[in-house]
Amino acid sequence: MNPPSRALGVLATVLCLFAVLTGCAGKQDSTSGSPVPDGRLTVAVEFGPKAGFAIDTDDAFVLTELGVVETLVRADPNGRAVPGLAVSWQRIDPLTWRFQLRPGVSFHDGTPLTPDSVVTALRYVNSVAAPPRAIKGVGWRLSSPNTAILAPSAYHPNSPPSPIRSGTGPFVLTDIQATQSATVARWDRYWGPRPALATVQARFIPDPMARATALRAGDVDLTQGIPDTALPELAAVSQIKIVTYSLPRTVSLYTNLTSPLLADPRVRQAIELAIDRPALAAQVLGGSATAASDVFGAGVPWGNPATPPGADPGAATRLLAQAGYGPGKPLTLRLWTYPARAELPTLTTAVQAMLKTAGIEANIRVAEYNTVESDVLAGRYDLFLLSRSYLTDIPDAAGFLSSDYTCAGSYNLNRYCSPAFDTLVGSLSQTAYPTQRRQIFRAAAQRLNQDIVGVPLVHSEARVAMRHVTGFVPDPQEHYLLTPQLARTG
Amino acid sequence: MVTRRVLEVPGVLAVSSVLVFLLPQLTGTDTARAALRARSAESTPDAATVARVTHEFGLDRSLPEQYLSWLGHALTGDFGLSFTTRTAVGPQVLRATSVSLTLVVLALVLAAGISVPAGVYAAAHRGRLFDKLVSAASVLGVAVPEFILGPGLVLVFSVTLGLLPTTGWRTPSDAVLPTLSLTAFPAALVAQLTRAEMLDALGRPYIVVARAKGLGEQHILWRHAARTALTSVLALSSVFFAGLLGVAVIAEVIFAIPGLGRLLYDAVLAQDLPMTQAGLLAVITLALLARVTADLLQLVLNPQAREAQR
Repeated sequence: MNPPSRALGVLATVLCLFAVLTGCAGKQDSTSGSPVPDGRLTVAVEFGPKAGFAIDTDDAFVLTELGVVETLVRADPNGRAVPGLAVSWQRIDPLTWRFQLRPGVSFHDGTPLTPDSVVTALRYVNSVAAPPRAIKGVGWRLSSPNTAILAPSAYHPNSPPSPIRSGTGPFVLTDIQATQSATVARWDRYWGPRPALATVQARFIPDPMARATALRAGDVDLTQGIPDTALPELAAVSQIKIVTYSLPRTVSLYTNLTSPLLADPRVRQAIELAIDRPALAAQVLGGSATAASDVFGAGVPWGNPATPPGADPGAATRLLAQAGYGPGKPLTLRLWTYPARAELPTLTTAVQAMLKTAGIEANIRVAEYNTVESDVLAGRYDLFLLSRSYLTDIPDAAGFLSSDYTCAGSYNLNRYCSPAFDTLVGSLSQTAYPTQRRQIFRAAAQRLNQDIVGVPLVHSEARVAMRHVTGFVPDPQEHYLLTPQLARTG
Repeated sequence: MVTRRVLEVPGVLAVSSVLVFLLPQLTGTDTARAALRARSAESTPDAATVARVTHEFGLDRSLPEQYLSWLGHALTGDFGLSFTTRTAVGPQVLRATSVSLTLVVLALVLAAGISVPAGVYAAAHRGRLFDKLVSAASVLGVAVPEFILGPGLVLVFSVTLGLLPTTGWRTPSDAVLPTLSLTAFPAALVAQLTRAEMLDALGRPYIVVARAKGLGEQHILWRHAARTALTSVLALSSVFFAGLLGVAVIAEVIFAIPGLGRLLYDAVLAQDLPMTQAGLLAVITLALLARVTADLLQLVLNPQAREAQR
């Protein structure tokens, strides 16, 4: 095992011991009740700011989660575009859109939302040295948190925009304690429903077991990202409610099609047949994920909720024999993954065992993604087990399909190239209608299955646990956490 | 000896600065890609963006040019901007260092405050119940690692008793559990060392002379024997100091403390080069300063060392 893996191994041991030790006691709590007016809440947030809340980085997602900033267009939990700071929009010509701004919107510094302030905000995010994903390529994705509109007073010539008292959301960012915590207070002039909570302190706790323990100890009222190992002790506390929902994230086994060993589709099909995906979800991950039939799961309206068939090692062995592999000429593959997501090494070991039943040897390499990225991009692996979000910014999979599966895709780890598939994905630029786009997404997923481009294994799920809290709305895209409806109960 | 140690500091720092600067070359890291990845977790930069960032960071210059430029800025405390936070690295490392220093100094002071008197008393009452208790506690303290003790303390004091917070670094009460979890190991070793050194000192001729002079037993124990024993403890403490800075990362992860260990751990994983370089130099500087400080304190406490210095 290399040093990063060893370090992570130690950390994993720490977390497991943390789970075991803190799982020994359960504190029963009092009952919940109706929403309390002007309540205060402390929440444990999984991902804290890394770039001082810079709006052009992934920190923008923290700002929307905290209800501080808003975008012109929002995505509802079903992935539909709904009015945000703009109440309507209209395409004038292929390069021109007209947005009607919502009347009566005030920034947290008291100034009104105007067309000029929108232009200032969007021009800034387009001017940074490394523009965010949301404004790369064709078109801007205006529901992405990176395109949130801040007050003109936030923008200064020689420093990044300040999010303090410059958003339009239901909560005003009043205090930031570096990467430790942030405090927000209700914005009384919010254009939407009056927020039920008066103040919220968000604590950024990266360690999942520490978040779960903080909830059990009563240090926080709500926490994101509950690990499987913490479920039994949290479930033992009567007042703790756990909400589970599907995420637009799939763990797939990427197959390097430029590897001579995997060029034959019969070999790829044999790999697919050897893997028992329902068992991976139900047994290996203890039901904390759902088995994947294709790359899109129940987290999106065009996802495929069907359960894939179990393994058929006999059929896999026969296919391998047809491809020229057998006891006399065993198939040995390089199977890589990374440990940043705890489930990946576990799944990799299980996949290795399943492949072995079909006579395929897999040599596992677990290494920090950062340290192997150059090898990964150069295609020096046969199989790569990766967790990938297919809706990073907006409820639309065009960016994912384009970057991960087209010939010119910048993250085409399967090294798949099909002109027919490229034409299919290219047709997305011809239609803006959600229904048609979803049909194309479905067709693309089916095409990937037909060509056996990777093996989607499981779709990830998210868990949020809370005590004395009501009004929580699961957001598969995880853009919104603090909403006007979120309230403390008595 | 102390003069030599002081004179060594600039040389060690200079060599360290070269090694720290060469980290990307030594680890095979593509700095421009690392910077871009840190900015957007799941996107892959295109070649044009990589080329632009390469030029922006001056990575297209020769290594000696890059080193001299980096060193010139580093000497003024300017380590550049973090790849992930895009804010100045210097203040962040300084803030994290102050947190870790507080944590480590608190742990060492607490360890010394508990274990030195315990070791002295145990040696003075060799073979009695207290001595056996100190020995047993020392074995336990060495055997139970921080990653078991920390969660155990959380279980008892936070989850069960509800007395102390589970995570954070905002109020003095936040420091209690992480300090305790870091204290156990040095306290155990210092108690064992103090006891052994005391047993050795109590058999020395100058102690016999002191007793013959009619000095009180407590006076002999604390003013003469313990003082000699402390010199070894001090020497060990300087080693502990650097070690605890490393071990503190476990407490910093468990208790979500924004210290130097955590900062370095995150920086290494994120390939945040400026942060890693500044953090490593901070750790090396602190370790060197701790060693020099321990030597100076030895001079104060140990007449033999003062004599050797002359």
